[in-house]
Amino acid sequence: MQQRKYEVFFLVDPDLGDSELQSLETRLRDVIGREGGTLVSYNSWGKKKLAYPVKKRTRGHYFLLEFFGGPNVPHELERNLKIDERVLKFITVKLEERERAKPKSIKSPSSKQQEQVESEKSEE
Amino acid sequence: MAVVKTTIKKKRRFFKHRKVCRFCMDSSLRIDYKDANLLQHFLTERAKIVPRRITGNCAKHQRELTRAIKRARQMALLPYTTVAPI
Repeated sequence: MQQRKYEVFFLVDPDLGDSELQSLETRLRDVIGREGGTLVSYNSWGKKKLAYPVKKRTRGHYFLLEFFGGPNVPHELERNLKIDERVLKFITVKLEERERAKPKSIKSPSSKQQEQVESEKSEE
Repeated sequence: MAVVKTTIKKKRRFFKHRKVCRFCMDSSLRIDYKDANLLQHFLTERAKIVPRRITGNCAKHQRELTRAIKRARQMALLPYTTVAPI
């Protein structure tokens, strides 16, 4: 099955407790594991003021999730994100492999330099 | 016939210096929908996308740019419109 690199950028209710955020994180990690994807990085972009109110909230907590996987992984992920009402907005983007090389291993995914730097950082 | 050619040349001299595409030559800037403050430069105060003839971007990067701006708007990083201060 063709392994592609995806990134999911999603927006979460800002005043969620850490335990909620943790449970959300583990749920998403399980989905990726179950669907045979491999997680590259999962980091928070912090709380930001929104450009326009979303569901009556003017602030939101952004998260970025990068992973490798077949088409079923983002499909399943999005289904979960839709059900979970703590997640206000999400967007899934297929990352272009600039060099068109197949991703041999996670250690050196042949993606854009910026992603590479990020994933190396998250490796340490 | 020759006369016509020269007049055209004269008109062209009036042309301002060629606007250059920021993303092609100038720097290894990466167009990313998550990078709101870079995209901000390409929005008017009313948060409308600045047309290519003003920014001087090349077609390829202008397309990438509009795609990124529209995605950023979807994720509430960029506004769809701004209310004029009365």
